[in-house]
Amino acid sequence: MQLGSLVLVIGVVALGAGCAIALVVRPHKTKNRLSKRQPKTEEKIYTDTAERDIEHIFNNEFREELRNRGRLHFEKIIGENAMFLQQDLRLTTSQLNDYMKQEITKTLKDEFAKYEQSIMDAKQLAIDSIAKTQTAIEEQREMLGKQLEEQVAIEKQQLISRFEQNMAEIINHYVVAAIGDQIDLNDQLEYILSDLETNKEAILEDINNGT
Amino acid sequence: MARRTTNFRLPPSVIGLMDLGRLSRELQAIDEFVVQASVRQAGKQPDLPRTSRNLDWLAKDNGFNLLLDVDRQRLGAFLDAVRIQAPVIHMSFATTDPSAAFLQKMITWFRAEIHPLMLIQTGLQPGLAAGCIVRTANKYFDLSLRKRFDQNKQVLIDKLHEGSVTSGG
Repeated sequence: MQLGSLVLVIGVVALGAGCAIALVVRPHKTKNRLSKRQPKTEEKIYTDTAERDIEHIFNNEFREELRNRGRLHFEKIIGENAMFLQQDLRLTTSQLNDYMKQEITKTLKDEFAKYEQSIMDAKQLAIDSIAKTQTAIEEQREMLGKQLEEQVAIEKQQLISRFEQNMAEIINHYVVAAIGDQIDLNDQLEYILSDLETNKEAILEDINNGT
Repeated sequence: MARRTTNFRLPPSVIGLMDLGRLSRELQAIDEFVVQASVRQAGKQPDLPRTSRNLDWLAKDNGFNLLLDVDRQRLGAFLDAVRIQAPVIHMSFATTDPSAAFLQKMITWFRAEIHPLMLIQTGLQPGLAAGCIVRTANKYFDLSLRKRFDQNKQVLIDKLHEGSVTSGG
């Protein structure tokens, strides 16, 4: 594109130079012929010719052509730049994505590491706390076990003492409940008479005193 | 009177004050019969009251003729004296009503060993498994199985501690 523009510019310059040379050579011959008669109007003639030729060379079509070419060139440049910009943008986006990925990954890794460390710390703390609690519970259980054993021993001793104190009443109650209705007084006669015989003197004494 | 009552004997079937009261009422009925018979009109013979075995036994043992006024008076006086002076012993058993045979054996022993006119008043002690409780005027004798258990409590405790008493499952 730049090469074409350069060729065009060179072409235009060469054309202009050719025209200028032609104008210079011809007025020079004319000048040589006229110089002798109108040396002061040659410059004016040349100027008029150049203006006329310029108007002839750089006419509207040529200008429109140049404008079109410039527009196309400009559009081409813009398109190329847009493509370059798009490529750069894509590349930048890709790099940005990679960078973001790396940064996010790094950040996430760091955060996960911190999180994992926090979890590990919390886990260790919980384990320590559970161990302490378990130790305390174990101590409490042992203490309660001892207290319970002592209490049970005391209670057992109390029950045994109470049982021994009231043993006669308990056994008597059991006998009454179990076979109370099956004990015949006639079967007890010997037992009662033997007891009466044992207490005979006391009964006799009380009866005699009473009488 | 006390000296005189010692010569009399009460039959074993006469156990308590109720029996004495019953004998007195029978004796009184005979007295009334005799009086009615003495003032009776011709053709109106009053019925002779029936006497119980206790009264017959009492009269027979002590040699009284119930048809004689003197004997009836002496017997009535004897019963009154017994009611007033005879020692009464209170016996409580586990059952409500001891049998007559049992009470007769008991009263026989008491009259033979303690006093010839001894009377028994029975009572109820449901908590007694066996045995009885005897109360005299001033003393209390626990002859129950519970008392026996209590006296021999240490034996059972020792056996329990030795482990020789096991459950009979």
